[in-house]
Amino acid sequence: MASSFWNIAYQQAMKSGVLVAKVYSFLHVTTNYLAFPAYAFGPSMIPTLHPSGNVVLAERISKPSRGDVVVFQSPEDPNKLPTKRVVGLEGDSVSFVVDPGKNDESRTIVVPKGHVWVEGDYIQNSRDSRSFGPVPYGLIQGRLLWRVWPFQDFGPIGPPTTT
Amino acid sequence: MAEISKPMAWNGEGSIGASINRRQVSLFDPRHRSLHNLIHSRPSMLPTLNLTGDVILAEHLSHRFGKIGLGDIVLVRSPTDPTRMVTKRVLGLEGHKLSFSADPLVGDGSVSVVVPKGHVWIQGDNLYASTDSRNFGPVPYSLVEGKALLRVWPPRFFGSLR
Repeated sequence: MASSFWNIAYQQAMKSGVLVAKVYSFLHVTTNYLAFPAYAFGPSMIPTLHPSGNVVLAERISKPSRGDVVVFQSPEDPNKLPTKRVVGLEGDSVSFVVDPGKNDESRTIVVPKGHVWVEGDYIQNSRDSRSFGPVPYGLIQGRLLWRVWPFQDFGPIGPPTTT
Repeated sequence: MAEISKPMAWNGEGSIGASINRRQVSLFDPRHRSLHNLIHSRPSMLPTLNLTGDVILAEHLSHRFGKIGLGDIVLVRSPTDPTRMVTKRVLGLEGHKLSFSADPLVGDGSVSVVVPKGHVWIQGDNLYASTDSRNFGPVPYSLVEGKALLRVWPPRFFGSLR
Protein backbone atom coordinates (compact mmCIF):
# COMPACT_ATOMS: atom_id res chain seq x y z
CA MET A 1 0.00 0.00 0.00
CA ALA A 2 1.46 3.36 -0.89
CA SER A 3 2.38 5.61 1.98
CA SER A 4 0.42 8.77 2.33
CA PHE A 5 1.94 12.19 1.93
CA TRP A 6 2.05 12.72 5.69
CA ASN A 7 3.89 9.47 6.31
CA ILE A 8 6.61 10.46 3.89
CA ALA A 9 6.74 13.99 5.23
CA TYR A 10 7.02 12.62 8.75
CA GLN A 11 9.91 10.32 7.79
CA GLN A 12 11.76 13.17 6.10
CA ALA A 13 11.24 15.39 9.12
CA MET A 14 12.59 12.67 11.41
CA LYS A 15 15.68 12.17 9.25
CA SER A 16 16.40 15.88 9.15
CA GLY A 17 15.74 16.13 12.87
CA VAL A 18 18.25 13.38 13.61
CA LEU A 19 20.81 15.05 11.37
CA VAL A 20 20.30 18.39 13.08
CA ALA A 21 20.67 16.73 16.47
CA LYS A 22 23.90 15.03 15.41
CA VAL A 23 25.41 18.20 13.98
CA TYR A 24 24.41 20.18 17.08
CA SER A 25 25.87 17.57 19.43
CA PHE A 26 29.12 17.46 17.47
CA LEU A 27 29.45 21.24 17.51
CA HIS A 28 28.51 21.46 21.17
CA VAL A 29 31.07 18.88 22.29
CA THR A 30 33.77 20.33 20.04
CA THR A 31 33.35 23.94 21.06
CA ASN A 32 32.92 23.18 24.76
CA TYR A 33 35.65 20.61 25.21
CA LEU A 34 38.07 20.86 22.33
CA ALA A 35 38.46 24.11 20.44
CA PHE A 36 36.45 27.12 19.45
CA PRO A 37 36.89 30.10 17.15
CA ALA A 38 37.07 33.59 18.53
CA TYR A 39 37.38 37.13 17.26
CA ALA A 40 39.99 39.16 19.08
CA PHE A 41 40.44 42.89 18.70
CA GLY A 42 41.92 45.78 20.63
CA PRO A 43 45.36 47.27 21.18
CA SER A 44 46.41 45.42 24.29
CA MET A 45 48.14 42.52 22.54
CA ILE A 46 50.20 44.34 19.90
CA PRO A 47 52.33 42.98 18.19
CA THR A 48 51.05 39.47 18.79
CA LEU A 49 47.48 40.28 17.73
CA HIS A 50 46.29 42.99 15.35
CA PRO A 51 44.30 45.76 17.02
CA SER A 52 41.78 45.81 14.20
CA GLY A 53 40.75 42.20 14.63
CA ASN A 54 41.89 38.61 14.24
CA VAL A 55 39.95 35.42 13.92
CA VAL A 56 41.70 32.87 16.09
CA LEU A 57 41.29 29.29 17.17
CA ALA A 58 41.36 28.66 20.90
CA GLU A 59 41.66 25.29 22.58
CA ARG A 60 40.34 24.06 25.91
CA ILE A 61 42.46 20.96 26.31
CA SER A 62 45.67 22.11 27.91
CA LYS A 63 46.14 23.70 31.29
CA PRO A 64 47.42 27.26 30.94
CA SER A 65 51.12 27.72 31.50
CA ARG A 66 53.48 30.68 31.52
CA GLY A 67 53.61 32.44 28.18
CA ASP A 68 50.24 31.24 26.87
CA VAL A 69 47.81 33.74 25.44
CA VAL A 70 44.47 32.97 27.05
CA VAL A 71 40.89 34.12 26.71
CA PHE A 72 39.05 34.46 30.02
CA GLN A 73 35.94 35.96 31.58
CA SER A 74 36.78 39.32 33.09
CA PRO A 75 36.61 39.46 36.90
CA GLU A 76 35.28 42.98 36.53
CA ASP A 77 32.52 42.35 34.05
CA PRO A 78 31.21 38.84 33.41
CA ASN A 79 30.06 39.80 29.91
CA LYS A 80 33.55 40.66 28.71
CA LEU A 81 36.14 38.18 27.47
CA PRO A 82 39.61 39.71 27.46
CA THR A 83 42.57 38.06 25.77
CA LYS A 84 45.91 38.41 27.53
CA ARG A 85 49.13 36.52 28.13
CA VAL A 86 49.77 34.46 31.25
CA VAL A 87 52.81 36.00 32.87
CA GLY A 88 52.69 34.29 36.25
CA LEU A 89 51.30 31.05 37.63
CA GLU A 90 50.27 30.34 41.23
CA GLY A 91 53.20 30.84 43.56
CA ASP A 92 55.14 33.10 41.18
CA SER A 93 56.33 36.50 42.31
CA VAL A 94 55.24 39.18 39.88
CA SER A 95 56.57 42.75 39.85
CA PHE A 96 54.86 45.58 38.08
CA VAL A 97 54.80 49.34 37.99
CA VAL A 98 51.72 50.54 39.83
CA ASP A 99 51.04 53.77 37.96
CA PRO A 100 53.35 54.26 34.97
CA GLY A 101 52.01 57.75 34.29
CA LYS A 102 52.81 58.97 37.76
CA ASN A 103 56.09 57.48 38.90
CA ASP A 104 58.26 54.39 38.82
CA GLU A 105 56.98 52.87 42.03
CA SER A 106 56.71 49.12 41.61
CA ARG A 107 54.94 46.41 43.60
CA THR A 108 55.63 42.74 43.93
CA ILE A 109 52.80 40.28 44.39
CA VAL A 110 52.83 36.53 44.92
CA VAL A 111 50.17 34.95 42.73
CA PRO A 112 47.76 33.10 45.07
CA LYS A 113 46.85 29.43 44.71
CA GLY A 114 44.33 28.72 41.97
CA HIS A 115 45.03 31.99 40.13
CA VAL A 116 47.14 33.28 37.22
CA TRP A 117 48.58 36.70 36.50
CA VAL A 118 47.83 38.03 33.03
CA GLU A 119 49.28 40.99 31.20
CA GLY A 120 48.82 42.31 27.70
CA ASP A 121 51.80 42.30 25.33
CA TYR A 122 51.33 46.01 24.71
CA ILE A 123 51.76 47.05 28.29
CA GLN A 124 51.09 50.74 27.67
CA ASN A 125 47.48 50.19 26.63
CA SER A 126 46.30 47.10 28.39
CA ARG A 127 43.81 46.55 31.16
CA ASP A 128 44.96 43.39 32.89
CA SER A 129 45.97 41.89 36.22
CA ARG A 130 47.74 45.12 37.12
CA SER A 131 44.24 46.62 37.38
CA PHE A 132 41.93 43.77 38.35
CA GLY A 133 44.32 41.42 40.11
CA PRO A 134 45.09 37.76 39.58
CA VAL A 135 42.48 35.77 37.67
CA PRO A 136 41.12 32.47 39.09
CA TYR A 137 41.66 29.42 36.86
CA GLY A 138 37.91 28.85 36.71
CA LEU A 139 37.49 31.98 34.59
CA ILE A 140 39.88 30.90 31.86
CA GLN A 141 37.97 29.79 28.78
CA GLY A 142 40.75 28.68 26.45
CA ARG A 143 44.24 29.13 25.10
CA LEU A 144 44.81 30.82 21.76
CA LEU A 145 46.42 28.41 19.38
CA TRP A 146 46.24 29.61 15.80
CA ARG A 147 45.40 32.74 13.88
CA VAL A 148 43.06 32.09 10.96
CA TRP A 149 42.51 35.62 9.67
CA PRO A 150 44.04 37.99 8.40
CA PHE A 151 45.41 35.42 5.98
CA GLN A 152 48.83 37.02 5.68
CA ASP A 153 49.39 36.10 9.30
CA PHE A 154 47.88 32.65 9.23
CA GLY A 155 49.88 30.63 11.71
CA PRO A 156 50.51 29.77 15.32
CA ILE A 157 50.29 32.32 18.10
CA GLY A 158 53.51 32.03 20.00
CA PRO A 159 55.79 33.66 22.52
CA PRO A 160 56.03 37.44 22.69
CA THR A 161 58.24 38.85 19.94
CA THR A 162 61.03 40.96 21.36
CA THR A 163 61.45 44.25 19.48
CA MET B 1 40.92 43.43 44.22
CA ALA B 2 40.41 42.79 47.91
CA GLU B 3 43.15 40.87 49.60
CA ILE B 4 42.02 39.41 52.89
CA SER B 5 44.07 36.95 54.83
CA LYS B 6 43.06 35.91 58.30
CA PRO B 7 44.07 32.96 60.43
CA MET B 8 40.83 31.01 60.09
CA ALA B 9 40.37 27.49 61.29
CA TRP B 10 40.33 25.44 58.12
CA ASN B 11 37.51 22.96 58.19
CA GLY B 12 36.99 22.17 54.56
CA GLU B 13 34.18 23.67 52.64
CA GLY B 14 31.08 22.49 50.86
CA SER B 15 30.57 19.97 48.34
CA ILE B 16 30.80 17.84 45.53
CA GLY B 17 32.56 14.63 45.27
CA ALA B 18 30.16 13.64 42.56
CA SER B 19 27.09 15.04 40.95
CA ILE B 20 24.48 12.57 39.92
CA ASN B 21 21.88 13.35 37.35
CA ARG B 22 19.08 10.91 37.00
CA ARG B 23 16.75 13.23 35.19
CA GLN B 24 18.35 14.07 31.92
CA VAL B 25 19.34 11.56 29.32
CA SER B 26 22.29 13.46 27.99
CA LEU B 27 25.96 12.95 27.26
CA PHE B 28 26.88 16.32 28.50
CA ASP B 29 28.81 17.30 31.58
CA PRO B 30 26.88 18.74 34.59
CA ARG B 31 28.21 22.18 33.79
CA HIS B 32 26.13 22.34 30.69
CA ARG B 33 23.02 20.64 31.91
CA SER B 34 20.38 23.07 32.90
CA LEU B 35 19.46 21.07 36.00
CA HIS B 36 21.32 18.59 38.05
CA ASN B 37 21.37 16.89 41.43
CA LEU B 38 24.20 17.61 43.74
CA ILE B 39 25.42 15.95 46.93
CA HIS B 40 26.53 18.21 49.73
CA SER B 41 27.99 16.69 52.87
CA ARG B 42 30.14 19.16 54.74
CA PRO B 43 29.43 21.16 57.87
CA SER B 44 29.85 24.56 56.25
CA MET B 45 26.18 25.06 55.52
CA LEU B 46 24.63 23.87 58.79
CA PRO B 47 21.86 24.13 59.79
CA THR B 48 20.48 24.66 56.31
CA LEU B 49 22.13 21.57 54.85
CA ASN B 50 22.71 18.43 56.89
CA LEU B 51 26.06 17.01 57.86
CA THR B 52 25.25 13.54 56.62
CA GLY B 53 24.67 14.63 53.07
CA ASP B 54 21.83 16.17 51.13
CA VAL B 55 20.97 15.88 47.50
CA ILE B 56 20.02 19.24 46.08
CA LEU B 57 18.49 20.15 42.78
CA ALA B 58 20.40 22.99 41.18
CA GLU B 59 19.87 24.90 38.00
CA HIS B 60 22.40 26.47 35.68
CA LEU B 61 20.28 29.07 33.94
CA SER B 62 19.74 31.91 36.42
CA HIS B 63 23.31 33.04 36.59
CA ARG B 64 23.43 33.53 32.82
CA PHE B 65 20.62 36.06 33.06
CA GLY B 66 21.97 37.81 36.09
CA LYS B 67 19.18 36.53 38.31
CA ILE B 68 21.29 35.71 41.36
CA GLY B 69 20.11 37.69 44.36
CA LEU B 70 20.91 38.14 48.02
CA GLY B 71 20.24 35.09 50.10
CA ASP B 72 20.42 32.61 47.22
CA ILE B 73 22.38 29.44 47.74
CA VAL B 74 24.74 29.17 44.80
CA LEU B 75 27.24 26.71 43.39
CA VAL B 76 30.52 28.44 42.81
CA ARG B 77 33.76 27.17 41.31
CA SER B 78 36.35 27.57 44.06
CA PRO B 79 38.85 30.37 43.38
CA THR B 80 41.52 28.43 45.22
CA ASP B 81 40.94 25.05 43.57
CA PRO B 82 39.32 25.15 40.13
CA THR B 83 38.42 21.46 40.23
CA ARG B 84 36.07 21.92 43.19
CA MET B 85 32.65 23.43 43.47
CA VAL B 86 31.48 25.04 46.69
CA THR B 87 27.95 25.65 47.88
CA LYS B 88 27.46 28.90 49.74
CA ARG B 89 24.97 31.68 50.23
CA VAL B 90 25.27 35.02 48.48
CA LEU B 91 25.44 37.71 51.13
CA GLY B 92 26.60 40.65 49.05
CA LEU B 93 26.36 41.85 45.46
CA GLU B 94 28.61 44.38 43.77
CA GLY B 95 28.69 47.71 45.52
CA HIS B 96 27.37 46.39 48.82
CA LYS B 97 29.20 47.21 52.01
CA LEU B 98 29.64 44.29 54.40
CA SER B 99 31.10 43.84 57.85
CA PHE B 100 32.13 40.53 59.17
CA SER B 101 33.97 39.18 62.13
CA ALA B 102 37.56 38.34 61.38
CA ASP B 103 37.53 35.28 63.60
CA PRO B 104 34.16 34.38 65.11
CA LEU B 105 35.71 32.04 67.66
CA VAL B 106 37.99 34.61 69.17
CA GLY B 107 36.40 37.99 69.27
CA ASP B 108 34.70 40.83 67.56
CA GLY B 109 37.50 42.22 65.45
CA SER B 110 35.21 43.47 62.75
CA VAL B 111 36.29 44.10 59.18
CA SER B 112 34.38 46.21 56.66
CA VAL B 113 34.60 45.58 52.97
CA VAL B 114 32.92 46.88 49.81
CA VAL B 115 32.16 44.24 47.20
CA PRO B 116 33.90 45.34 43.97
CA LYS B 117 32.19 45.54 40.59
CA GLY B 118 31.62 42.20 38.94
CA HIS B 119 32.00 40.23 42.18
CA VAL B 120 29.79 38.60 44.81
CA TRP B 121 30.36 37.84 48.47
CA ILE B 122 29.59 34.30 49.51
CA GLN B 123 29.43 32.84 52.99
CA GLY B 124 28.51 29.48 54.42
CA ASP B 125 25.66 29.44 56.93
CA ASN B 126 27.90 27.80 59.50
CA LEU B 127 30.30 30.67 60.18
CA TYR B 128 32.59 28.64 62.40
CA ALA B 129 33.29 25.91 59.88
CA SER B 130 33.19 27.53 56.50
CA THR B 131 35.90 28.69 54.15
CA ASP B 132 34.33 31.36 52.08
CA SER B 133 34.67 34.99 51.06
CA ARG B 134 35.95 35.82 54.53
CA ASN B 135 39.02 33.78 53.59
CA PHE B 136 39.43 34.15 49.85
CA GLY B 137 37.74 37.47 49.28
CA PRO B 138 34.87 38.39 46.98
CA VAL B 139 34.41 36.01 44.09
CA PRO B 140 34.05 37.14 40.43
CA TYR B 141 30.47 36.70 39.30
CA SER B 142 31.51 34.47 36.38
CA LEU B 143 32.59 31.76 38.81
CA VAL B 144 28.97 31.32 39.90
CA GLU B 145 27.78 28.28 38.01
CA GLY B 146 24.40 27.42 39.47
CA LYS B 147 21.66 28.18 41.93
CA ALA B 148 20.22 25.65 44.35
CA LEU B 149 16.48 25.23 44.04
CA LEU B 150 15.36 22.67 46.53
CA ARG B 151 16.44 19.64 48.48
CA VAL B 152 15.35 16.26 47.15
CA TRP B 153 16.97 13.88 49.66
CA PRO B 154 16.49 12.93 52.52
CA PRO B 155 12.78 12.78 51.76
CA ARG B 156 11.63 14.11 55.10
CA PHE B 157 13.48 17.33 54.37
CA PHE B 158 12.21 17.57 50.81
CA GLY B 159 11.45 21.12 49.91
CA SER B 160 12.87 24.55 49.75
CA LEU B 161 16.12 25.52 51.38
CA ARG B 162 15.35 28.15 53.99
